[in-house]
Amino acid sequence: MALRKGQKVEVFRRSGDESWEPYMDKFIGRHGIITDPDTSINDPESLVEVSLDGMGTHRLPQDCLRVLDA
Amino acid sequence: MTLTQCPVDQTLTLLCDAMEANRLQHPRSRRLAGQLITMIEDVASGRAGAAHLPTVQRLADELAAFQADAAGMALGAEVRLALAANQEVFASHIETQNCAAGACDRLAPSPCQMACPAGIDIPTYVALIAEGRDAEAIETIRRDNPFPWVCGLVCTRPCEFMCVRGRIDQPVSIKTLKAFAAERALSLGHYVNPAQAPPKNRKVCVIGAGPGGMSAAYYLALNGYTVRVIEALPMAGGMMMVGIPRYRLPREVIDREVAMIEALGVEFRFNTCLGKDVGFAQLRAEGFEAFFLAIGAHASFKLNIPGENDYPQVIQAIDFLKRVALGDRHLPGQQVIIIGGGNVAIDAARTCLRLGCASVTMAYRRTLSEMPADVEEIEQAEEEGVQFAFLTVPVAVEGRDGHVTGLRCLKARMVAQAGSKRMAPVPIEGSEFVIRADAVISAIGQRIEKQTLAELKDLSWTRRDTIQVHTATMATDLPGVFAAGDAVTGPATVVEAIGGGKRAAAAIDRYLNGLPQPGMPPVPVRHHRAAWTEVPATTKMALKRQPMPLLNMDRRRTTFQQVELGLSENMVREEARRCLRCDICRRCGRCVEVCRDKMKVDALRLGYLDFDAPGPTDFRWTQEHCIACGACAANCPNDAMQTEDRKGERIIHLCGTVLSRQPLRYCDGCGEAIGTDRYIEFVRRRTHRIAPVLDGRIYCDQCARRKAVLDAHDVHSVD
Repeated sequence: MALRKGQKVEVFRRSGDESWEPYMDKFIGRHGIITDPDTSINDPESLVEVSLDGMGTHRLPQDCLRVLDA
Repeated sequence: MTLTQCPVDQTLTLLCDAMEANRLQHPRSRRLAGQLITMIEDVASGRAGAAHLPTVQRLADELAAFQADAAGMALGAEVRLALAANQEVFASHIETQNCAAGACDRLAPSPCQMACPAGIDIPTYVALIAEGRDAEAIETIRRDNPFPWVCGLVCTRPCEFMCVRGRIDQPVSIKTLKAFAAERALSLGHYVNPAQAPPKNRKVCVIGAGPGGMSAAYYLALNGYTVRVIEALPMAGGMMMVGIPRYRLPREVIDREVAMIEALGVEFRFNTCLGKDVGFAQLRAEGFEAFFLAIGAHASFKLNIPGENDYPQVIQAIDFLKRVALGDRHLPGQQVIIIGGGNVAIDAARTCLRLGCASVTMAYRRTLSEMPADVEEIEQAEEEGVQFAFLTVPVAVEGRDGHVTGLRCLKARMVAQAGSKRMAPVPIEGSEFVIRADAVISAIGQRIEKQTLAELKDLSWTRRDTIQVHTATMATDLPGVFAAGDAVTGPATVVEAIGGGKRAAAAIDRYLNGLPQPGMPPVPVRHHRAAWTEVPATTKMALKRQPMPLLNMDRRRTTFQQVELGLSENMVREEARRCLRCDICRRCGRCVEVCRDKMKVDALRLGYLDFDAPGPTDFRWTQEHCIACGACAANCPNDAMQTEDRKGERIIHLCGTVLSRQPLRYCDGCGEAIGTDRYIEFVRRRTHRIAPVLDGRIYCDQCARRKAVLDAHDVHSVD
């Protein structure tokens, strides 16, 4: 688990992960807060739940996220 | 600011009004109008795809041509006209997800609602709870979530992370409010199901009676479908029942809410395993047209360390919790080690204490701050006597004569990964040590039992071994087969499963009606704007988050009684009044800009408006500095800031928070209200060089002008 609950993040790029769907392109540039960092403990590539400002809450791959307040 | 009417919003209102007023009498015209509403709601919320507009056109044509219902024909003709006249506006909503008029934007939800995976209209129900209208609050919650009481006790409350009040002091205790309202409404018999649609005589099968499966069953049953739920366990609830211990979620809470779903005619078949007791072919032969897979993630990941498979005292947390939930109250050992740092690990540890284990130690390879478990759960576990061994990496289970004697571990240190600031635990060579134990419980994560769905050979799986779905609709690659919950997300939260179930129910309805599916998941939609509660600024600032009363420690260590006792009614009403009503105030900051930059008054200290860099907030500041000019209210695009003259006072309030209350002054000439002393002084300071001296009297603009004219001509009024 690399991200933590409550961290502010930005969707800064597309992900190459299979879970990335075309509608998620609209999320790029959006800021949000991590609401559930890990679906599977010890999985560094797990999908994390992010509440994006103005876009709702979604599970996204970690490689598209950048921590804002670290 | 007055918003221009949006044709999309107007068309939607036209259709909704017709349905609400029961103007359409024929079932077919009602169905067509209902489908039109679904399609246009997609357009209004920016979720529509390319197929939506042609579908709206087709449905409107069909409604307009349906001669058996004159009202339906007229409505269809009106929709056709609206489409023809505003084709570009409809297309723009679809292509840009933007309502140029801003009318559809008025329904944009608050951050807490956006954060909720089920999309519950949180500000509305919090406002209703503040007013003591608990039954209405529950009705609001159940539009999006059929388990308000369960979620009131165990939700991971992502809403509170986004709560704007948290930028001032602490978030509103949203979860607790929900639990109180559900308990009160049930206790008074006011917790009722909404009206069901007439039976459609079409059958849907739900596999799994967990939160996701039962949510889908609830919304499908409400929509008139015949629903059967197949469950391998002897009772409903899934992970809520067998994964969450009773001291967090009493069984009665689940049973009461499941009973509400059963009351809608949903049929439950317990002790029934898919692929063993019943198969898809048999279900299809029985007439089921769509399937919803919500089988959860009930299998566990292995530790893959020596000794793990050699001793019966090494068990999986999820199996252990299930056994205890089903009535087996034998303790696993006297000295127990739990491996893991998530909520399941904490649940297993606290359960061991309650069963009578002498010592319980949690071995976690990172530090406290990285633990994924809920902070309050960690605190409560520590209070109860659970010990923590941080930076501890298990390397082998040790034992003798078929019994576990300890867990061999290495100490770890956190090291930044190459090219990143992210820290990862790295074992320290030569730091081996043994923790004595007679039982080891592994809680490092769950996975899906794929063999349950072996019959569906063409079902696609992700590399994470979860079911592959299109997340906008929860549809799998197999026609008529949908899936949600832990089987799709991996082990996640109750509320996320509920959201997935609700989304799937809507998609199944579209699938069975041949309607196009949305291109992206639904953005939560507000249902209406609840009235705000008036609260003085000092009270708004003084009200702090209410602490949760807990069961006494002796009982927490010895029984499975509910630990969180809930807030009292007075505490609940006060907590609800802390809400800032972000569904109405959109935090655009125009009020602050106008006051500071245009009026040069700077009477608004609303630092919380900034998401990325919140500044200081003090609602009380306004009372001392506001001139009550009303410029903030005049420039508020959403009527959140308002000015009101009441009982000799001018009141400025933001969503009911009274920021300024000052005595009004009246014109000495005509008696009209002309503002407050501060406002008059503000105007005088700026106009003293050009304004005539008015003998110390106060006049409104009109009377001052009249008096100036009379004085200039030295004419005296006859009266």
